[in-house]
Amino acid sequence: MSCGSGDSSCEKPRRRAALFLLGLMALIFIALSVFSFLPSRGQATPDTVSFGPYQANDGKRVFQAYNCMGCHTMVGNGAYLGPDLTEVYRQAGPAWLAAFLPSAGGWPTEAAVRAQLLDPNQHADTGTDTIDAYLQKYPGAANRIQRRGGGTTLMPNLPLSKDEIGQLIAYLKYTSAMNTEGWPPKIEAGTLDRRLQLAHGTVAVAQVAPAAAATPAPASDPAALGAQLVKDYGCVACHASDDKRLVGPGWGGLYESSVSLADGGKVTADDAYLAESIRQPEAKIVAGYPPGVMPAYDTLLKTDEVNAIVAYLHTLEKQ
Amino acid sequence: MQTEYQTQRLSLRFFMLMLVLFVVQVIYGMILAAQQVDPTLLQGWLNFNVARAEHLNLGIMWIVCGFIGAILFVAPLLAKRELVAPWLIKFLFYAVIGIVIWNFFTQFLAERGIAGWWLGQPWLQQGLEYLEAGRIAGLLILVGFLILAFVVLRTFPRVREWNEVHWGLGLGVGALAVVWVFGLFYVVRLDLQEYFRWFVVHYWVEGVWEVIHISLIGYFLVLMFKADVKSVGFAVFWGIALVWLSGLIGNAHHYFWIGTPEFWQFWGSLFSALEPLPLVFCFWHIYLDAHTNKRPLENAPAFYFLLGSTVLELVGAGILGFVMTFALTNVWSHGTWVTAGHAHLALFGTFGMLGIAAAYYATPILRKVPQFDQRLGKLGFWLVFIGVLGMAFAFAIGGTVQVFVYRILGLDWFGGDVNRAMGTYKVMLPLFGLVLTTGAGVLAYDLLTLGRRVRPQNADVDARPATGWRRPLTGFEAGIWLLLMWLFGTVITLGLLSFNLPHVRVAGDPTLPYVLAGVGYPGLLLVTLLFVWRFLASMEARASAPVMSPLLRVLPAQS
Repeated sequence: MSCGSGDSSCEKPRRRAALFLLGLMALIFIALSVFSFLPSRGQATPDTVSFGPYQANDGKRVFQAYNCMGCHTMVGNGAYLGPDLTEVYRQAGPAWLAAFLPSAGGWPTEAAVRAQLLDPNQHADTGTDTIDAYLQKYPGAANRIQRRGGGTTLMPNLPLSKDEIGQLIAYLKYTSAMNTEGWPPKIEAGTLDRRLQLAHGTVAVAQVAPAAAATPAPASDPAALGAQLVKDYGCVACHASDDKRLVGPGWGGLYESSVSLADGGKVTADDAYLAESIRQPEAKIVAGYPPGVMPAYDTLLKTDEVNAIVAYLHTLEKQ
Repeated sequence: MQTEYQTQRLSLRFFMLMLVLFVVQVIYGMILAAQQVDPTLLQGWLNFNVARAEHLNLGIMWIVCGFIGAILFVAPLLAKRELVAPWLIKFLFYAVIGIVIWNFFTQFLAERGIAGWWLGQPWLQQGLEYLEAGRIAGLLILVGFLILAFVVLRTFPRVREWNEVHWGLGLGVGALAVVWVFGLFYVVRLDLQEYFRWFVVHYWVEGVWEVIHISLIGYFLVLMFKADVKSVGFAVFWGIALVWLSGLIGNAHHYFWIGTPEFWQFWGSLFSALEPLPLVFCFWHIYLDAHTNKRPLENAPAFYFLLGSTVLELVGAGILGFVMTFALTNVWSHGTWVTAGHAHLALFGTFGMLGIAAAYYATPILRKVPQFDQRLGKLGFWLVFIGVLGMAFAFAIGGTVQVFVYRILGLDWFGGDVNRAMGTYKVMLPLFGLVLTTGAGVLAYDLLTLGRRVRPQNADVDARPATGWRRPLTGFEAGIWLLLMWLFGTVITLGLLSFNLPHVRVAGDPTLPYVLAGVGYPGLLLVTLLFVWRFLASMEARASAPVMSPLLRVLPAQS
């Protein structure tokens, strides 16, 4: 062979040819890259997407600051411990996200999502004001509430502020709006029941019975009614029944105790304070907790329901 | 062989640092594997995302330490003179320790959502997979790479005198720094951010590390088997040429679904399908070069890891990368455990094992203990090799189940549906992880204390004849093994492809992809294990070769 290994007369032209090919490929790559990001492609960009006053641009920073990609994937890249987040806004909608994100350790109930719908930003973003219309528009939220509502998740609670939550929702709205060339692939395997059947062989009975749908029989004992209400409204996703901090303050031993407020004042946690904190949580913020995370339940709960929850709080002891 | 240049000794500290980081990284891997089984484990103290960031960053850092050690060891030999500015290398060593510790602690800030925004950049940590380090650490790492490039390039002779190994390493250390720059700015758009993130990750691994890997493997073969520099240089040149010709546009396989246009699917599928070519080439050359002389292995652990590195490069990076490189298979494997199997074999196998091989080659020479006891090193090799193959199996099969439940059935509740289906394989992961961890501990202990134990007198005397499983490995037989690997690789590819069938996708019957994966993955991994066993058995049998054919020992290296 005239061009064997180490034959210097053949090496030079070969090297030149390889270099030429490499340059050609670099040109192709650069051309493809330029075409990829031309405005004419119409790809969504974060600076055009917002949720209420919150910008997707800021949400991206929050997403990185908490290293969400360390457990989840985004456009399929990241870690595989949790679900992909690219389309979660499109599936579950902003109200479900707003109910979930502050207390990621628990799955939101229907009432918890309903509480979020009172937020004017939500109203403006979803164009719906009733929970039924919302669940119609975001079937992923209905599915999540029905199967998981009120349960605990595998995710830790994160110390997200009110603004960070809004910004994250804006960011997830942006990623849902992106054209990812058909990924993740469409589901074509039929109804949820059928798919569950295919996955597990049988449909687990416990999962079909939704916690939220079971309307609580009106209990005669107000404390028992209160205990049922805090479950239905998903309060326990943020508040522990002992004095531990989950997202908000724990309830154990709270009644009649002295509470330090963020403005430096002190109040005694009597019936009036507890009822006010349920109706208008912003009125008095406990020292060490961020404002704006808890929704106001003023219009959601009737007076006797608030009283029932307060009565339930009376029964909880510090542990 | 003796130490020829005093500054070669500087490599030893990087090898020792590599081992310490390796062990810590593997411990983090065990934590992650346990958290895959129970995600609430250590929640609030060490969240999964932080542990994973540590696992990835430590992995990169110890691989880089292995590279630095190996390069510092061979650079004086290649330059035929001492390293310039050894004080810079000493500074680099302490700087690396400082950066690792700094980054270790700043990663925890992700639990509080603190990135350290200033001037629009995240200075403390930035929450991007593989590039979790914040800007402070990132810039310091850049300085470190520049120091390395400066020392190596200044030590090398004039460019006119470079051979292919000089070129490979010279381009490698230069590009190491250049490519890193693409990860040093905050990008607002998600698609553009991912575009540039893969510049770093893909071009590092498939453009730079691969080049350093090929050059180092080639040069160690020269050192170990007295292979002809010209012939190895020829292999190094074509290896690098093929890596770049396929890998440059091959990066497109990361641009299928990140929001970039559809045309990337064509270019990515086409060019990255060619990416295994240089790996097959390298695989073939380790066979040829290891057989240029028939002398017994002087340093068995070093060759074990060199072989492991080349074989896992072919299997983990080449074949398992090939199976998911087509848009029609990648659409299913993307974002699942399937990719993690590939990543573990490719990163630890190819680059990690090269660092360990270099450490095993250099340490006895630098410590002047040629008669070190090699048994622990061999044991360590088999433990980490079997461990990582087992983990790849758990990832691959678990990932196949994940594809079906998550992507085909669209069940996105991990706690309720996905984890339930993947349960067996989630448990399998820490079990094989434990095997690898044990191996890592054995290796670290053995290398840190190398030379304290001397080889028993009769260790070299192996009376068993070189027949059967131990007979010399012919090129024909090696080719058959290679074909078998690709055969199973094809089965795996068809398995991923079969998710597209209406029978699977619409009717929801997973039998075909499950059967193909159930044949393909165990087949491929078993063939890999058996081939390495067979190759090493034939090499070990050379201990009795002098009796059989003393003539071969005096023949020139290349006929």
